[in-house]
Amino acid sequence: MAQYVCRYRKGEQLRWISHLDVKRTLERAMRRAGLPLALTQGHNPHPKLSFGPPLPLGATSDAELFALHVTEAMDADEVKQRLNEQLPPGLEVTEVWALPAYRKKETFGNIDLAGYEVTLGDSVGREDLQGRVDQLLASPELIVHRGGERPERTVDLRPLIHRLEVREGDDGPVLRMRLRTGSHGGARPQEVIALLGLDEREHVRRYHRTELSTRPSADRRPGAARGRRWRRQRR
Amino acid sequence: MMQISQFEALLARVNKPARYTDGEWNAVHKDWAAARVRLALLYPDVYEVGMSHLGLHILYHVVNSHPDYLAERCYAPWTDMEAELRRAGAPLTSLESRRPLSEFDVVGVTLPYELTYTNVLNMLDLAGIPPRAADRTEEHPLVIGGGPGAVNPEPMADFFDALLVGEGEEALLEILEAARAPRREALDRLAAIPGVYLPDRYQYSPAGPGPVGAVTPREGAQYPLVRRYVADLDAAPFPTKQLVPYLDTVHSRVTLEIMRGCARGCRFCQAGACYRPRRERNLDTLLRQAEEAVAATGFDEVSLLAFTSVDYSRIEQLVTGLTERLGGRGVGVALPSLRADAFSVAIANQIQKVRKSGLTFAPEAGTERLREVIRKRLSEEDLFAAADAAFSSGWFRLKLYFMIGLPTETNEDVEAISDLVHRLLDFGRGALGPRRGRLQISVSVAGFVPKPHTPFQWVGQDETETLAEKQRILQQTLRARAVKLSWTDPAVSALEAAVSRGDRRLGAVIHRAWELGAKFDSWGEHFQPALWEQAFAECGLRLSDYAHQELPRDADLAWDHIACGPAKDALRAELDRALGGGEA
Repeated sequence: MAQYVCRYRKGEQLRWISHLDVKRTLERAMRRAGLPLALTQGHNPHPKLSFGPPLPLGATSDAELFALHVTEAMDADEVKQRLNEQLPPGLEVTEVWALPAYRKKETFGNIDLAGYEVTLGDSVGREDLQGRVDQLLASPELIVHRGGERPERTVDLRPLIHRLEVREGDDGPVLRMRLRTGSHGGARPQEVIALLGLDEREHVRRYHRTELSTRPSADRRPGAARGRRWRRQRR
Repeated sequence: MMQISQFEALLARVNKPARYTDGEWNAVHKDWAAARVRLALLYPDVYEVGMSHLGLHILYHVVNSHPDYLAERCYAPWTDMEAELRRAGAPLTSLESRRPLSEFDVVGVTLPYELTYTNVLNMLDLAGIPPRAADRTEEHPLVIGGGPGAVNPEPMADFFDALLVGEGEEALLEILEAARAPRREALDRLAAIPGVYLPDRYQYSPAGPGPVGAVTPREGAQYPLVRRYVADLDAAPFPTKQLVPYLDTVHSRVTLEIMRGCARGCRFCQAGACYRPRRERNLDTLLRQAEEAVAATGFDEVSLLAFTSVDYSRIEQLVTGLTERLGGRGVGVALPSLRADAFSVAIANQIQKVRKSGLTFAPEAGTERLREVIRKRLSEEDLFAAADAAFSSGWFRLKLYFMIGLPTETNEDVEAISDLVHRLLDFGRGALGPRRGRLQISVSVAGFVPKPHTPFQWVGQDETETLAEKQRILQQTLRARAVKLSWTDPAVSALEAAVSRGDRRLGAVIHRAWELGAKFDSWGEHFQPALWEQAFAECGLRLSDYAHQELPRDADLAWDHIACGPAKDALRAELDRALGGGEA
């Protein structure tokens, strides 16, 4: 038994396939690659795989994660090479590392930060944009209403925005943001765009995820908004 | 080619954009300039349905394996995408190269079932190709139809330059060879290919209301038009590098065609009549193809396709061989079609990978008498033996298919369906004992549709109201918590019957219905019977003459010139046997 964590890229060509589609695609690629996948026990054996937080439909990324179990240990580079030979254009494994043998199934539950680059069209001026960002960051709270969730609720996004800045990109300004993510509450880049008073269809050319990571532990305040849920889940 | 950025902008606004983006594993991208003939394979239903149609995969493989030819695919855009395309003034394009269909030399259209026909017109129109063949010129692609619907090409005759009747894997290459020539010459060459039907080289003389009248050839046209079929299925080309969709399609798995045709001779079954003879692939061929396909696709399931999989002569060896070779890799085997007997359940038992959820059987009728009439050879004993085997080996859900409106059917036959289901239910409760609470029987009831080339082609379908009444009987008598009843809308069955038994005059009706907005007629949320009523009325025709009329036995029928299944005399004799009491 051996476990590997893979970082992969989702490019232009496949930005319109969903997280579920990506899972199926990777699983089939592993089977084509002939990796000796470890299967679950029971009537309906399936490979032991786990995936990082889903990427919004339409976004590209350099930072996606999944983990797989195989029955025979092999070189991490071999895993990477064999997988890449079987992946369609638009998916590429960029990094593979083996986890120590004693580690349980990697579930990525500790990932709680995501970085994005949002490429904006030239329909919004650099200074205009900077003004909107400054105003947003100066707000003590940013309440949004999430109608899609049940029960419907309101969330303060301000503490979930760790960084937001304007950079110059190749064609027009780029917004770089680092947002909280994960099952304990997170902000979506689309929500930040809306808070900036921008229209997604009109202004956004591309969402691109640049980073998935874990906050340093000192940064996690037990009394924070989502803290109770966090503790309940950890019990 | 459409501007990529323009297309990307459309994708951002539609549901499931991956329906339109291609790049599936094993998709073929050939050099456009190097291809001598370019074929667009059009499937008139949405991507998830079309990707599950094996015929299209076979043809895609056959054409792209040839050095001179290129094939790309196009599925029906869902209504949201159609709206975006029309608003942008953008033409319908192929998946692979995103070229407008009008740039291809040939548009090959699959006709999978009658309720997709308006989609064919809609897709041609979206591609900027006039739907009516008569309106097309040298600058347009040849539009050639084929597939199951082509066994009665008449209702779609107006829209095709040519149709292939029968199986396509050999004939298609001959068709593309002919299509190298300029349009007029190409049509002459096509007319000479056995099985290829050029509607405008035939004349229809209606002789009454409904599909009564002879279609006769103008000079030199093939008559009768004899369908094509592959003599040696084992040697026929079969793709093992099957396309791997990203989306969750109807069937995302390896499909192995183990057998084609069926020797059972059910009298309602058009496929059984038109795909003769029954042909098998060799066991060794299938085991090899399965291994190759799993290696080339990474699918975790292999489905054994046949009209009745367990009729394959070496089914036990096949199933054992496949589970031995693939089981260890977590790859399962699926049987899409079972016979209702203990043997079938034993086979299913052997391969069941997923938790034991459901088994599907098709008794078709509620009484032995009526099953004799339709020649569905299934005794109640077999059915209960199958149920016994299923319940005792861990299954607790059954799905049963029935038809109502069958010839000679009375209300007692319909009530007998309820009775049969109730007795199965009692039996199951006894057999499952403490687990009886999980028992469930799904009963799916379709309206009988008379089909050309079958012994029942002359039989009138029940009037819509009669079918609805029979449904009510079932709804009233089948009331158990463990029974789930579903049925097809009688209006849908009526339209299916009318188009199935359509003659050339129906072309105008289909065209008008499409103009009025009919599309995706097989999708409950899109089917609008009022549009079809209006279309029939405006064309001066009555749906009832096609669907419900009993056709005169001695009259010429609109599809008699197509030699597809058994000879007309044999069909008539078979009908007499059916109605005379069933001693076949």
